[in-house]
Amino acid sequence: MSDLISIKGGRDGLRMRFDDTADWPALLVQLEQQLTQNQAFFNGARLTLELGERSLDEIQLSELLNLLQHHGVVADALSANAREARNAARAVGITARPLPRYADPPPGTPSLAPESEALLLTRTVRSGQVLRHSGHITLIGDLNPGGELIAGGSVIVWGRLRGFVHAGALGNAEVVICALELSPTQLRIADQIATTPPRSNGPHVPEVARIEQHQIVVESWENYKR
Amino acid sequence: MARVITITSGKGGVGKTTTTANLGTALAMRGARVAVMDADIGLRNLDVVMGLENRIVYDLVDVVEGRARLRQALIKDKRLPELCLLPAAQTRDKDAVSPEQMVYLTNQLRTEFDFILIDSPAGIEGGFRNAIVGADEVIIVTTPEVSAVRDADRIVGLVEAAEKGTPSLIVNRIKPRLVNRGEMLSVEDVIELLAINLLGIVPDDEAIVTSTNRGEAAVYDQHSLAGRAFLNIARRLNGEEVPFLPLQDQPGVLERFFGIFGRRRT
Repeated sequence: MSDLISIKGGRDGLRMRFDDTADWPALLVQLEQQLTQNQAFFNGARLTLELGERSLDEIQLSELLNLLQHHGVVADALSANAREARNAARAVGITARPLPRYADPPPGTPSLAPESEALLLTRTVRSGQVLRHSGHITLIGDLNPGGELIAGGSVIVWGRLRGFVHAGALGNAEVVICALELSPTQLRIADQIATTPPRSNGPHVPEVARIEQHQIVVESWENYKR
Repeated sequence: MARVITITSGKGGVGKTTTTANLGTALAMRGARVAVMDADIGLRNLDVVMGLENRIVYDLVDVVEGRARLRQALIKDKRLPELCLLPAAQTRDKDAVSPEQMVYLTNQLRTEFDFILIDSPAGIEGGFRNAIVGADEVIIVTTPEVSAVRDADRIVGLVEAAEKGTPSLIVNRIKPRLVNRGEMLSVEDVIELLAINLLGIVPDDEAIVTSTNRGEAAVYDQHSLAGRAFLNIARRLNGEEVPFLPLQDQPGVLERFFGIFGRRRT
């Protein structure tokens, strides 16, 4: 996402990793920028903060939490090596953990693009349920009306897609949304928004949505693959 | 082993209380010891629907707060000695009871009854959470309307998140004539979306209005289609295989006339 802050998604939710050594005020400025730019992705998100070797006092941590909260983000947990940072977390009432055994390399380390990490799920996503992932999402099952999938990469629904999907929510417009039955309440790709007109209840064919000349276009899978 | 079953819906006005009263009565008619509990504190209805309103002395909150023993608060049904009602308090609100107290209460009832049916309030807040916290199984009632089905979907997610297993479904107030004309969601449409096990289909029936107002369950009425549907659901709860009722409207006099008239012209 940037060279000082990176976002990762896993089965257990989103993690935000901060650079170990960079100047703290500069980090906050960059975080603010990222949150504003990627508002669609972050608004409503819950995540774990990963501080690595960095130490924070209670005031600095509160400052960070306020900034996140201002953008609709809730930090559930914090993992850090420094005891002071973990104590600060407990003082403000969030779960503190030591660093995971297989910690991510600090941001800036050359690695695969974040979208290359995919999340595979087999379930029904029901009204009121939101799945958020920094990479691709593949759902084997239905996405019901009122349910939401928000991904940094592409979204594939092997089932009926009737809810809300935002693909490329971190700004990438080179992504697709495809489904066996594409009847969404709303689709978003990067910063484009599309609604679908109500369609007859005839047989559905698999379809793909993508961006073409700054607009979301939908076509059947048979046409798309040619 | 007693079974604690919560009847809930998300949306209000789809027939939770009617379903609770009728299933409770039907199960008791078949010889089970049944307690029905009204968890809609502050908006109690179950006592009215069962015609027991004037017998209330103590309620659920009195028991929880120690003013009455459970046995004192349980009201025996007018006809069936095996059926008891634990009424909700009318002058308090949902915060009067904690989840721990609900679990304690249902566990006490388990020792004396075969079935404990809990009538949940509408919504997804504390009252709903209290209603499911002590349950072994959850039944979701919906009507074939888009808004009711949407709320039911939300509730399925919350019930699964609360680790109460996948709930089963009753589709209430279906109007076969509207379904045939494609103007109402069919049971298949509802099942396709919710993807949960169907426990029963209850046709729309005017007899429900009269039975509710009289305070007598529709399952007593031999001629009520809805009453028969509820009896069948009670049998399915007991593990019997009962086929679903054929869904056909009895045509009215006028329609029969137009029906003949229409056929002559074609």
